[in-house]
Amino acid sequence: LLSGDPPRSPRSGPSPQGPRSCPRHVQFGSSPQSQPRSPSCPSPGPAAPSGVRGSTQPRCRDSPRPAWPAALFRCGGRLWMGRRPPSPEARCPAPRRPAASPHARSPASSGTSPGPQAGKMAAPMELFCWSGGWGLPSVDLDSLAVLTYARFTGAPLKVHKITNPWRSPSGTLPALQTSHGEVISVPHKIITHLRKEKYNADYDLSARQGADTLAFMSLLEEKLLPVLVSVHTHTHTQNYVEVTRKWYAEAMPFPLNFFLPGRMQRQYMERLQLLCGEHRPEDEEELEKELYQEARECLTLLSQRLGSQKFFFGDAPASLDAFVFSYLVLLLQAKLPSGKLQAHLRGLHNLCAYCTHILSLYFPWDGAEVPAPRQTPAGPETEEEPYRRRNQILSVLAGLAAMVGYALLSGIVSIQRATPARVPGTQALGMAEEDEEE
Amino acid sequence: MSLVAEAFVSQIAGKVPFIHVGNQVVSELGPIVQFVKAKGHSLSDGLDEVQKAEMKAYMELVNNMLLTAELYLQWCDEATVGEITHARYGSPYPWPLNHILAYQKQWEVKRKMKAIGWGNKTLDQVLEDVDQCCQALSQRLGTQPYFFNKQPTELDALVFGHLYTILTTRLTNDELSEKVKNYSNLLAFCRRIEQHYFEDHGRGRLS
Repeated sequence: LLSGDPPRSPRSGPSPQGPRSCPRHVQFGSSPQSQPRSPSCPSPGPAAPSGVRGSTQPRCRDSPRPAWPAALFRCGGRLWMGRRPPSPEARCPAPRRPAASPHARSPASSGTSPGPQAGKMAAPMELFCWSGGWGLPSVDLDSLAVLTYARFTGAPLKVHKITNPWRSPSGTLPALQTSHGEVISVPHKIITHLRKEKYNADYDLSARQGADTLAFMSLLEEKLLPVLVSVHTHTHTQNYVEVTRKWYAEAMPFPLNFFLPGRMQRQYMERLQLLCGEHRPEDEEELEKELYQEARECLTLLSQRLGSQKFFFGDAPASLDAFVFSYLVLLLQAKLPSGKLQAHLRGLHNLCAYCTHILSLYFPWDGAEVPAPRQTPAGPETEEEPYRRRNQILSVLAGLAAMVGYALLSGIVSIQRATPARVPGTQALGMAEEDEEE
Repeated sequence: MSLVAEAFVSQIAGKVPFIHVGNQVVSELGPIVQFVKAKGHSLSDGLDEVQKAEMKAYMELVNNMLLTAELYLQWCDEATVGEITHARYGSPYPWPLNHILAYQKQWEVKRKMKAIGWGNKTLDQVLEDVDQCCQALSQRLGTQPYFFNKQPTELDALVFGHLYTILTTRLTNDELSEKVKNYSNLLAFCRRIEQHYFEDHGRGRLS
């Protein structure tokens, strides 16, 4: 832990950029603990077990990790491995398509010695996150942030995009399964773990920039998060019913789709109420006034801070960029009851350009990616058609068969196989008997 | 400026900060700042846009971390709760109301902690978070007299309010104030403000 040692561990180690190798410690965002995800990276380093799935060790819950500054200071001379690539073009290709990536290798993996990475990775780190939709790599804020961070750093993660949170090792998404079998599920812890594994996007930040990261993360959580949470909670809004809930209900397998979206919605609602204090933002105008006003201010502040830079801290992305990007992109996508917020955001051109830039650089194929488990609402509804029709017919037939079978078995309807001759005969006999009785 | 100082005096004394102007009462820091600004006094006029953004961000950081940590320490740390908070919170009320209200407040605070993700944190983790926050503030402050160089701003007032309270309130364990004391520039910052703006009140509790 930090106890009394204010920032200063000088980073030694080879640094291709001479002037940068000075004692700077990196400060990171407010939550020090993000679990890093490790995609199976196409790094030239040895032991890149891209084919290995999962770890054979028993999974255990993540125990609280020490704060990120400690993790940073321990890095010592190996920090070059985790240095931010100087330019996005030199990034490690996306984890899932090692062969197809057009990007050059990142300096970390291509450069000097692959040594530190050698004995480390027993099994690749695996990340479980919500799958993509609406043109985004993931529809969930935390998953998206962690995924973006992983892309920034080129961390070798095996990414599982799933829609069933119960299939993740920790029961929630996002979750990172480290190479040692531990499971980490708090997003900040994931990012901390990634940093510890030397996939560090904030390597080059100065102390002051690190402090700024912490501050801006708090700002995002305070001002923008309520808006995103409200997207999930306002059941009467068009957005919730038509987009959000529909996506989750369609994406989740039976029978989860019946109760999980409702449960998530209640959790979000509770969070929103606590975020907004005692006010209950049921009323649209009140919601608009409070939340959206603050959100608009926050967006303006972000735009001013970004200015005309490519990323918040210069030319290379940091963890703050991952979070800001996630928030902005989800805000742009969500259909909010009032279009003012999005109009405001769209009016901030540098933020929009920033989002597009990151999307095109780090998720170039996700936009056009064929969504794996279930489809995005926009596209393949037509593909669903034949299946839907078939399912409908099958279900009707099944229903009919069930009814007929029940009727037969319980005797309501009986199939008479007697020959036509006998039937009148028996009837005649019956009548004769009656006549006789009379 | 003196109005803001007044607000902080009352915050330090433990009351909700409010100002009473004419027949208007404005409470809480945010509205007070707005009110004062509307009257033509604003501390952050000299800042450019980027600095204003940073200032707002740091204020959120303080609210997020320090305020929550203080709340946690008051209500979720069993030792403190038992010895200090329960008694203090319930003191205006007769038995059994004092116990009932104190438990109710504690339950509310715990619920809030859980919702923001602090429910499972141990005291050590909370102290670490405070440490990080202080580290960020310390680095932002650097060697300047105030956060935005020569002139104090709302951020300085807010940080002073929190740090002063932490440093001068006696709790069952002093770890929180120890964490703050680790950062000498923050300590010097608090002393400087105290001497500069409050010395006529005769307070010298920091030295």
